[in-house]
Amino acid sequence: MATMNESLYPVLVLIDELKNEDVHLRLNSIRRLSTIARALGEERTRKELIPFLSENNDDEDEVLLAMAEELGNFVPHVGGVEHASVLLAPLEGLCSVEETSVREKAVESLGRIGSQMRELDLVESFIPLMKRLAAGEWFTARVSSCGLFHIAYPGAPEALRNELRTIYGQLCQDDMPMVRRAAATNLGKFAATVEPSHLKTDIISMFKDLTKDDQDSVRLLAVEGCASLGKLLEPQDCASEILPAIISFSQDKSWRVRYMVANQLHELCEAVGQEATRMDLVPAYVQLLRDNEAEVRIAAAGKVTKFCQILNPEIAVQHILPCVKELSSDSSQHVRSALASIIMGMAPVLGKDATVEQLLPIFLSLLKDEFPDVRLNIISKLDQVNQVIGIDLLSQALLPAIVELAEDRHWRVRLAIIEYIPLLASQLGVGFFDDKLGALCMKWLKDKVYSIREAAANNVKRLAEEFGSEWAMHHIIPQVLEMMNDNHYLYRMTILSAISLLAPVMGSEITCSTLLPVIISASKDRVPNIKFNVAKVLQSLIPIVDYSVVENSIRPCLVELSDDPDVDVRYYANQALQAIDQVMMSS
Amino acid sequence: MIKQILGKIPRKHSKSAADPSPSASSLATSKKSEGGSKRLSNTVNESISAPYSVSNIGNNQENKFKNSRSNGNSIPSSYEALPSFRDVPSSEKQQLFIKKVKMCCVVFDFTDPTKHLKEREIKRQTLLELVEYVTSANGKFTEIVMQEIVKMISANIFRVFTPQPRENKLLDGLDLEDEEPAMDPAWPHLQIVYEFLLRFITSPETDAKIAKRYIDHSFVLKLLDLFDSEDPREREYLKTILHRIYGKFMVHRPFIRKAINNIFYYFIFETERHNGIAEFLEVLGSIINGFALPLKEEHKLFLVRTLIPLHKPKCLAMYHQQLSYCITQFVEKDCKLADIVIRGLIKYWPVTNSSKEVLFLNELEEVLEATQAPEFQRCMVPLFQRIASCLNSLHFQVAERALFLWNNDHIENLIKQNRKFILPIIFPALERNAQHHWNQAVHSLTLNVRKLFYDLDPELFKACQVKFEEDESKEKVVREKREVTWKRLEELAAKNVTSNEAILVHRPPST
Repeated sequence: MATMNESLYPVLVLIDELKNEDVHLRLNSIRRLSTIARALGEERTRKELIPFLSENNDDEDEVLLAMAEELGNFVPHVGGVEHASVLLAPLEGLCSVEETSVREKAVESLGRIGSQMRELDLVESFIPLMKRLAAGEWFTARVSSCGLFHIAYPGAPEALRNELRTIYGQLCQDDMPMVRRAAATNLGKFAATVEPSHLKTDIISMFKDLTKDDQDSVRLLAVEGCASLGKLLEPQDCASEILPAIISFSQDKSWRVRYMVANQLHELCEAVGQEATRMDLVPAYVQLLRDNEAEVRIAAAGKVTKFCQILNPEIAVQHILPCVKELSSDSSQHVRSALASIIMGMAPVLGKDATVEQLLPIFLSLLKDEFPDVRLNIISKLDQVNQVIGIDLLSQALLPAIVELAEDRHWRVRLAIIEYIPLLASQLGVGFFDDKLGALCMKWLKDKVYSIREAAANNVKRLAEEFGSEWAMHHIIPQVLEMMNDNHYLYRMTILSAISLLAPVMGSEITCSTLLPVIISASKDRVPNIKFNVAKVLQSLIPIVDYSVVENSIRPCLVELSDDPDVDVRYYANQALQAIDQVMMSS
Repeated sequence: MIKQILGKIPRKHSKSAADPSPSASSLATSKKSEGGSKRLSNTVNESISAPYSVSNIGNNQENKFKNSRSNGNSIPSSYEALPSFRDVPSSEKQQLFIKKVKMCCVVFDFTDPTKHLKEREIKRQTLLELVEYVTSANGKFTEIVMQEIVKMISANIFRVFTPQPRENKLLDGLDLEDEEPAMDPAWPHLQIVYEFLLRFITSPETDAKIAKRYIDHSFVLKLLDLFDSEDPREREYLKTILHRIYGKFMVHRPFIRKAINNIFYYFIFETERHNGIAEFLEVLGSIINGFALPLKEEHKLFLVRTLIPLHKPKCLAMYHQQLSYCITQFVEKDCKLADIVIRGLIKYWPVTNSSKEVLFLNELEEVLEATQAPEFQRCMVPLFQRIASCLNSLHFQVAERALFLWNNDHIENLIKQNRKFILPIIFPALERNAQHHWNQAVHSLTLNVRKLFYDLDPELFKACQVKFEEDESKEKVVREKREVTWKRLEELAAKNVTSNEAILVHRPPST
């Protein structure tokens, strides 16, 4: 050990640590791999550390995962891009392990390294590695290889490119569905790097193979890639090559496939252009909107707006709107909910007339929906609604919905509506708010659920911000302060927190004249929890009020509290007193 | 081998066990049959016409817009019962049979209990007659009959399962086991179709050499997909049927094994969701039981690459019993596999899931039971490191289960023979339990085990004790030394990076 003083062998430290039984220690040392590398210097990292890691990939998956991640950032530690090739060996091993997350991380790191590599190294080391993986005996290596083609292809010379495309084609037809799924997943990324001439031939035929796969799970991934593939093609090629596949997918017997189509269709519309959309995709989409399976309708309904944005308004009115009407009374609440969350976006597409005439009734019926999520989704888009149809029409319909939601028996629903109240207030204006919603806001302060009371206190503050302190003096403060006399200490606590939130908004003057006396009197409360919260609130007021107020009102009150029999009250009172002293010292 | 396999299945359905003649099918015929199946599925689609009619079966009541559109039109306007087999001369029986089979290709929607009541009853009766006919048939089934039969079965059973309504999904993945399984409303028909398929497969009049053109790869693949059904009744049928197909169609065996493996990989490495793993394993259990000795390399690979990784998914409890049976079958057949299995268990040993850990300990005991000394010695060091941490588990069931290993005479003997290696590993764990395990039972069981070692070899015990106390006292020093080492490494690293700037390095005194 004595010799260690001058020559600490970083690799030996690592070797030693990696032998430890405790996985946490092993993990810890792998996470500090870059420290070891820096301690070693670039050359010794290449010659000692990396070979050691290549041979030691027999640890627990958690350790391997960390190793895969660290190595992705190792290029600077081995001496920059010209030496990046040495990093491939340890990662190659990690690409073939069983655990999926380790393999994925290794592929990610390889991608990061490969995209920095010089072309020569790419050809001499990266591509051979990729080919070895693609020819791997076990599926794990082959799956990993699929995620690397898009990295290597752009840098490969012509002859190699042909070979790479051929290999990818073989992966698309691999014996194991695991590999075909990986090939389908990565096809879009790979296609984006392939020259247009080969795109039309090789890639399209791979795509077609995958769409005919006998496994649902593979076809599903093929659909997922179709939009990104379509965007790479010329519109007419997309219409002739991709479109037919999609049309037939939209009638696939597996609902998962149809679901995927419903999610992707609007992107494909962008790729094929208006004409083909009108001819082929509108009917397919309409069919999906009326699918048997609720999940498919949910996905389709969620894309209505995006889809309509691509179409011209007449077609939207003629073909899509009738479906939207049907969906608004769908038997599945989730379909209605999905529709409610996007339906307002259709208003600008359809224009004011069609909106008032056709969309508004749908919108109003969703606002009266029996399922709270549906109503909430509409209310959350209130600003959009307002722009289109004006507040008068809206407020009549809105109010009953809000009142009902405000009293919903699920507290999460109440919470959601509280969070929209400031938005509502700004849209509806002071007058409307005073009449109808003010009382609700006060009621929430006495909710049975803490989260609601907490949100209600915050809401009061946001209203004061929205409408100004003068308004708040008349419409909020008196009611709030009144509740300080409630019998239930939990409600008094809520009010205390509301006051502490309001004080900064109301400003120093009102705080001193109106709020502070209430707080001071609360310091005589019989419940210790109230008292130490008084101490906390007083501390929060220090920066707001004048120094003289601190000395004349706050400090005496705190001094008294610091003699309280309750230990917590004393603690917080002293904390606040210390804060005062600090402010004094710094000023 | 086949008899062994079939012996495992209750023989309630067949009069005589099928006698599968080894069929030497050439590649050409199997290719042809695949082509045939494509044609077949096309015609099925045509005859049913509506694109979703097959999937309409399990649909819930949510399709109020679609019902009128996609259902109903698959039902012919007149759906009348055909004459009974008894009422026609034998010469016409086969024609009538085919007619009846075709009639049963029509699939009814069961989501609406009031719909097509009469027609549904007619189909049910017809299906029952078909079962009866197949059971009592004498004379080989002709190719055309087989084709129609498989077509009808395909139209009825091959369907895509509908997703669970979202309301039930809130606790997704949390308590898979407690979930109510979804019962397929179409079961009154499905059950008879499955019964029909089973009898058809097992019938001595079904010639596997011809039938394999229809019970082909595509058919088998779709049948395997059905194992994901939530309905346990359906999976029970599928299990029996798959077993019979495996028994009768020798030519499909490698394919079936491969296809099941693919489903397992998808389950283990991608989704961790499948309803039929237990059923697959049950079938495989009896297949493994029939493996000839010495085991083929392919089968050993199956153990290592599929069965052992099956310990990974979090829903292991749903199929652990069957998995454990398969694993112990392997070890009992070839005890040299024991240390591979044990190392596999160690690799997938759960870290935070105590109930899963108890399952692992159960399985471990069964495997150890069949383990001989040489294999035991090959894996005992990592094994007892693992057991040591189980002994210290704060979950008393885990600790208790680990301590129960000493109740097994065979295991106790293995431990005693190798105590020189094992006691030093587990001594700290025993000592810590004895000092302060919260659970009374664990505490006293630990004392028993401790005493056992002491009585057996007091010298070794004392040596371990000394070493333990030494380590204990050095623990803090070791930890500090480690921190110092890392700190120095970091300083060295910082110095290398900014090698041009002078930095003050505080060298800790070496220890």
